[in-house]
Amino acid sequence: MAADLAELKAMIEAALPGAEAEVSDETGTGDHLLAVVRAPQFDGLSRIDQHRLVKAAVKERFDDGAIHALSVKTDVAR
Amino acid sequence: MADPQLKEKVEELIAANPVLLFMKGTPDAPRCGFSMRVVQVLETMNVDYGAIDVLPALQPLREVTTEIADWQTFPQLYVNGELLGGADIVEEMFDSGELAEALGVDQPAEAPQAAPTAPSGPPQQSPPLQIE
Repeated sequence: MAADLAELKAMIEAALPGAEAEVSDETGTGDHLLAVVRAPQFDGLSRIDQHRLVKAAVKERFDDGAIHALSVKTDVAR
Repeated sequence: MADPQLKEKVEELIAANPVLLFMKGTPDAPRCGFSMRVVQVLETMNVDYGAIDVLPALQPLREVTTEIADWQTFPQLYVNGELLGGADIVEEMFDSGELAEALGVDQPAEAPQAAPTAPSGPPQQSPPLQIE
């Protein structure tokens, strides 16, 4: 099952109210994705914790195998 | 649930190695592009580090790191007992200078190289550690 980029974006933005997420397909194969996320919740968190929030938001899609690898870039929204 | 014995072993290794990389393959022969990128950053930083090849026990180790650090993917770089991150975070922190700070070293002038040249000094890299 290929990942649905719009769904992933919606999952991240739902988990982090006020966040802006862009999810793209880095390889064209649908399983190596890049999520660029800007969220107010990241303020004061270490990078690993920022990434944990993003990964947790889309955990279901890791668990069901839709995503194999997700690169994450985070930024604090102010 | 993770194997308690393996978990204990991993916790001992993390405690015993101030800089410890869980990777796919070995520093000399990485078997994953993400792992290779972290090795290149560490080589550029010129720090001593331990490396563990997770491939022989991938799923059991994934269960262990999920329990101890809430992180499932490899590579994983631990510094002073804490998970710093995977390839993305390590590279971002290298670029920003945060990695040098976390490792307690000076930021190197050079960028990580695709094909690291041999260091002029003695080799800095520790031998690969083994998980039974």
